[in-house]
Amino acid sequence: MAVVDASSAQLETVALAPVRRGVWLDRIRTWVPAGVVVLLLVVCFLGPTLLPLPKPTGGNVLDSGLGPFSSGHLLGTDSNGNDILSRLIYGGRSSLFVGITVNLVGIVVGGTIGAISAYVGGIVDTLIMRGLDILIAFPSLVLTLAVAQSLGPSTRNTIFALAFFSIPAVARIARSSTLRLREMPFMQAAQLCGSPGWRILLRHVAPNIGPQLISFAALGMGIVIVTEGALSFLGLGIPAPAPSWGNMIFDGQQSLSATPLEVIWPSLALLITVLAFNQLGETLRARWSGR
Amino acid sequence: MSAVSGLLPTRSGSGLGRLGRVAGSPLLRLIVKRVLLAIPILLGVSVLTFWVLSLIPGDPARAMLGMNATDQQVATLRHEYHLDESGPHRYLDWLTSALHGDLGTFMVSSQSMTSMLGDRWPVTFELVILAFVVSLGLAVPVALLAARWPGSVFDRISMLCSVTGLAVANYVLALLLAIVFAVELGVLPSIGYVSLSHSIVGNLKSMVLPTLAIAIPLFCFYTRFLRGDIVDQMQSEDYVDTARAKGIGPWRILWMHAFRNSSFGLITIVGLNVGTLVGGTVIIEQIFALPGLGQLLLQGINTRDTVVVQDLVILFAAIAVLANLLVDVLYAVLDPRIRYGSR
Repeated sequence: MAVVDASSAQLETVALAPVRRGVWLDRIRTWVPAGVVVLLLVVCFLGPTLLPLPKPTGGNVLDSGLGPFSSGHLLGTDSNGNDILSRLIYGGRSSLFVGITVNLVGIVVGGTIGAISAYVGGIVDTLIMRGLDILIAFPSLVLTLAVAQSLGPSTRNTIFALAFFSIPAVARIARSSTLRLREMPFMQAAQLCGSPGWRILLRHVAPNIGPQLISFAALGMGIVIVTEGALSFLGLGIPAPAPSWGNMIFDGQQSLSATPLEVIWPSLALLITVLAFNQLGETLRARWSGR
Repeated sequence: MSAVSGLLPTRSGSGLGRLGRVAGSPLLRLIVKRVLLAIPILLGVSVLTFWVLSLIPGDPARAMLGMNATDQQVATLRHEYHLDESGPHRYLDWLTSALHGDLGTFMVSSQSMTSMLGDRWPVTFELVILAFVVSLGLAVPVALLAARWPGSVFDRISMLCSVTGLAVANYVLALLLAIVFAVELGVLPSIGYVSLSHSIVGNLKSMVLPTLAIAIPLFCFYTRFLRGDIVDQMQSEDYVDTARAKGIGPWRILWMHAFRNSSFGLITIVGLNVGTLVGGTVIIEQIFALPGLGQLLLQGINTRDTVVVQDLVILFAAIAVLANLLVDVLYAVLDPRIRYGSR
């Protein structure tokens, strides 16, 4: 896409050093989302210790429903009297924590399964792939709902439920990348040197499929965070008094007509986060797949 | 396997002659192969669902009878719903009766699942169809306009919108739409469902917001894909150059050549989306209080009714599998290269 934009820019402004413009556009596209992601991580993970935030739970009901910019509450309070900004930051921490963990599990477990499946081949490959087909056939939200319900709502179970459908997707990508690698000369050289299978997978396959899996995980972050929100929204994710963007949106929905801002703040946070991760994933993919 | 069977003379081919082989057999073989592949997947899905649901710690019979029920009452109910049998036994029971068209009973209202599904599927079906019609109906013209002048203001705005739209969760969008159209403007109802037989206008009115909540992210996704694919083709494909050299107008090339080719990718994506979309109706139906399959699923989950959850999860998965099957077949019908290719 970047290539297309650059060439069309060339057609428009031949005299205006189009190449430089393309480079700048590229830089902005990489660094703005990356900056937003870093900012989000810093605010959500360091914010609770560095900023003088009120507690996200156990607020006084007498303080409930305060508007934005009221004293001590920059974004006001919700119907339970809890500070909205504080809940946003704590909720963001749990969303990001769930998203990062799920993707790490997805990369490690799914990547291993996919790489082994492609490397070993034969009947193992067929069995693993058919197994993954079954998991992929499930509409992810439905499967996640079933898993979350059967395990009960908690952060750990949310992660487990979400990892359930992150793994097959990553495994497929890892498999197809490994299949392509298998024909490369350096792989054959390693095999001829007598390297054991696990060493080849660890030293040659993993570093080569890594970038692709990471850019996919960045794109997957958005999906995971949105689904985590959906689970919490339905009361099957992070359990209620603890804040998460999903259950904040659900709480706000109860008094939608009176205080729409209670829905809008967490929605905005969700939007910005997903947008940043999506864009980061896109640029990483474009950069690493050499498109 | 297919390479070998391609080398062997097929019986139907030799019987019907060249025309028969061209029109029927490779396609038929592909369809049969795909159907055969779908069966183990469906079985696997049902086994997995059974297994996951058997991990639920609570006892549905006790949950239904309440705290004060005696052990005797619970045991009777468990026996009535075959909850006292072993997992594999229950699965085989379920499978045999499901194949005979009996999907069990909804424990809360003791209605038969078959009639419950019959009542509720039209709502979900209408929602999904409307969402596809709206999203594709908007995406195709917008993508064509954007691809006609890449880099133009229209192109940039539409891409910005679709990137943003892709990042919006559908439940957030649903609530934002409800805030604007139901709360602020008050032009559309935010909850409640009017059946199609009751009033067509009322029905469509009650479906507008749920449809938009599902259709807008889809529209963004399709627009982005189509625009990118068409622009790629317009810039790099030989047949586009040939068409230009022949003096065919740009719109015609865009529509008849580039879009036609891109429609294959679009069909695949739409097919893949069906499963996600049917799953996505769960949350939208809940927000807008639509009495569809998704709402039933949540009801089943909240009352720990394994029969409902089982049937619905398997149904949703079956729809996804069948949609993919249909796409594969459609693909082969439309593209001769697939029919005769290595697959």
